[in-house]
Amino acid sequence: MLSIKDLTKTYSSGVQALRGVSLELSPGVFGLLGPNGSGKTTLMKIVATLLEPDSGTIEMNGADLIKRKDHTREMLGYLPQDFGLYPTLTAWQMLDYLAKLKGVNRKKERHSLVDALLERVNLASERSQRLGEFSGGMRQRLGIAQALIGEPQLIIVDEPTAGLDPEERLRFHNLLSETANENTVVILSTHIVSDVSNLCSRMAIIRKGKILAACSPRQAVEELKESVWEGTVPRDRLTAFKSEFNVISLRTFDGDARVRVISNGQRPNVEFTQATAVLEDYYFDLVNRQN
Amino acid sequence: MKHSFYTSFAAVFTNEVLLSTKRVAPYVLIVLFAANKVLWWAKGPAVGLGWATNSDFNITRDYTGFCFLLGLPIFTGIIMGDPIVRDFRLGVDPLIFSKPLGRAAYVLGKFFGNFFVLVCCQSAFAITAFLLQWVPFSGMVVLPVRAVPFVKHFLLIVVISHLMLAAVYFAAGTLTRNAKVVYLLAAAFYPVYIAFELFVMKPLPVVFRILLDPLGFNTHREQAINPWQQSAEFLNQYVVTYDVSSYVNRISMVLIAGVLLLIVCRRFSIAPLNEAGHFTGLKLSSATERIAYAAPSVEFLDLPFEASLERDRITLPKVTSTRGRPAPFSKILAALGTEFRLLRAERSLLVLISLVILLSIVNLPPHSMVPEVSYSVVFATNTANTVLVLVIGLIVFYTGETIHRERELKVQPLVWSTPVSNSVLLLSKYFAMVSLILVLVAVVSLIAIVAQLLRGHALDFSAYMAVHGIVLVPGILFITALVVALNVLLRNKYAAYVVAVGVGAGLVYLYNTGHTNWLYNPLLYRIWTYPDLTTRPMLINRLYCLGLCVACLAVAHLFFPRKTR
Repeated sequence: MLSIKDLTKTYSSGVQALRGVSLELSPGVFGLLGPNGSGKTTLMKIVATLLEPDSGTIEMNGADLIKRKDHTREMLGYLPQDFGLYPTLTAWQMLDYLAKLKGVNRKKERHSLVDALLERVNLASERSQRLGEFSGGMRQRLGIAQALIGEPQLIIVDEPTAGLDPEERLRFHNLLSETANENTVVILSTHIVSDVSNLCSRMAIIRKGKILAACSPRQAVEELKESVWEGTVPRDRLTAFKSEFNVISLRTFDGDARVRVISNGQRPNVEFTQATAVLEDYYFDLVNRQN
Repeated sequence: MKHSFYTSFAAVFTNEVLLSTKRVAPYVLIVLFAANKVLWWAKGPAVGLGWATNSDFNITRDYTGFCFLLGLPIFTGIIMGDPIVRDFRLGVDPLIFSKPLGRAAYVLGKFFGNFFVLVCCQSAFAITAFLLQWVPFSGMVVLPVRAVPFVKHFLLIVVISHLMLAAVYFAAGTLTRNAKVVYLLAAAFYPVYIAFELFVMKPLPVVFRILLDPLGFNTHREQAINPWQQSAEFLNQYVVTYDVSSYVNRISMVLIAGVLLLIVCRRFSIAPLNEAGHFTGLKLSSATERIAYAAPSVEFLDLPFEASLERDRITLPKVTSTRGRPAPFSKILAALGTEFRLLRAERSLLVLISLVILLSIVNLPPHSMVPEVSYSVVFATNTANTVLVLVIGLIVFYTGETIHRERELKVQPLVWSTPVSNSVLLLSKYFAMVSLILVLVAVVSLIAIVAQLLRGHALDFSAYMAVHGIVLVPGILFITALVVALNVLLRNKYAAYVVAVGVGAGLVYLYNTGHTNWLYNPLLYRIWTYPDLTTRPMLINRLYCLGLCVACLAVAHLFFPRKTR
């Protein structure tokens, strides 16, 4: 169990990145959803011991992760949002090096681990290729591989699917789901709502450094059951309509606007039909209410 | 919208100036140049010899020294080498080149923006000299306050010389798109310039010597007065004038710079340099029959494991992680191995090492030399002195590269989130650099031994061991530790370069003026002879040097930015 309590962080520039963030995370994949600049990466960096919070605590199974950084790093697998690789090393050399730093000293074990990881991320045939020649997607896959070294109990993946094609993205989802077992907490930070709904048993929405909601994706969608409506509104009536109803999404075609609204039990007008609620509805409803 | 050349040029120019105002290096250069002027003013020969500090003679003498010494050509290389490379490195190039911006406006804006910053930094020397006219100093002769000579000589001696050098570095950096080529050129400036003067210029007729000398020294020499044979009164009244040959030289330098910029404008291309051939295709679609998609968020489906490929069913093997006491040692070895691999990949380092070896061969003692103690002592001493001077540059520049590499390549979050201690990260870099330099020392010593044997002199291996073990090795350990500490404290490799060069220049100045006390001379510059090596004071000095080395490493460890608790 990972417990984050009252975490605050203000940068020297005066930007308040985190304002009293508290979360309880049980084993499994936990999704942290939020727009760009919401404080996700700051939170991830603090949990990954790379940044000091101003105040607050982080504990995992009773151990203080902020004070015991070496202990935290022993059980951590971290995929940063923005990372580089040594361009003159090969994929195999890079993973081997990071495995050594992780303390995997037995040569035979380490080599078979590196081979298996390269195989899992579909880089086995590029094992001897220099990293400077890797494309963005290949680098991202190598980043994923290194985060899985040494059976980490806490895996932090920050925007992991950026740069991956749809097939590799699905494969990554599979890999992450397999990795998350009864002993492992996986924190997935993303702004892609479908990543959270596909993978996470629990999630939190963060905005402007504050947690707006923490629940399961299912609960979130349940909350909006029978409240989401879809219909067409003439464009000239759109402004009036928007001031009256909570419009979640809007697409225009042929002079009309196709809108999706949240309205608790009340049908906006007779032309509207009830739609199945999705996680995006919950997310945008929450953000709109905050605005 | 109108996009004239001038609008685009002005935009690029001002942006370069703005970017430079956010960098540390220009400010450090300003401080360094101003401080040096104060030093030259207070401690130079003017006071003792009665030369007026603001006389034409003294102003041109100072500017000529400033133009050539102080590592100024190297600083020019650092500032002018990478303005365009930087855009590619930072990935700003697609944003810039997708705008309606002319190639000439971009290239010239970059060049003149940075050259303007460079001249502003250099002018700190001239402005300080100008302001010091109002500062009285006991025994110093000062003529009535004047301004024109400071500006005129600064423009003709410093600015034009460095305009040409700046154009060379800028062209090299832009056309190769590799800043290291520029650093190599900058590092090679002194040997190249001296070799050029000795082997190319010397045999040429006077007219060519005047025309082709980039720093204009030959112009001065042709009409120079010998200050040591003139009275102070004569020198103070002496008016430095520029004849036709001087102006021709200066104009030819401006023209060469113009031609180089023209070549850059013509040859500069935004296309990637020979990269296409290195990429391999992504083999992502080995299961082409299956449609890959992200499941819609509306459904909470089980993921399609049954559709997985063979590789998705590979389970990761169980591994044992070493923790506790044995872990740091194995991690240092691992990190050391990687550091070596990375250093080996630095091609400029390999070139510089070859250069050091070459120069040490050139600098072997002459055949006619008669030794006081033995040939081995002379060869070993000679090698030690040459190598120490040359490797200091290598240590300063490549330690900076090594210390800041993780941050610059953005590998830092990956490495820093692993369970390694800060001492492992620091010591691996330190030992990698030290080992590399010691290998270089061994190679140079081997060359000296072979040369000695080829000349038929008996070999006394203990002389090499004593000289290198007692003088060279502790010096290398200390210098490397000092540079590591500087880089950690200053957090910026350029600031560390400037401080290291500044401190080095200041110390050499002190040593050359007779202040060679061992307390601030841990490298034993000019204060040892072979018989001293086995004395007690030498032992104390060497222990002091190693103590400083440990202190520097301790400071680096203490201020290392990664937190461990």
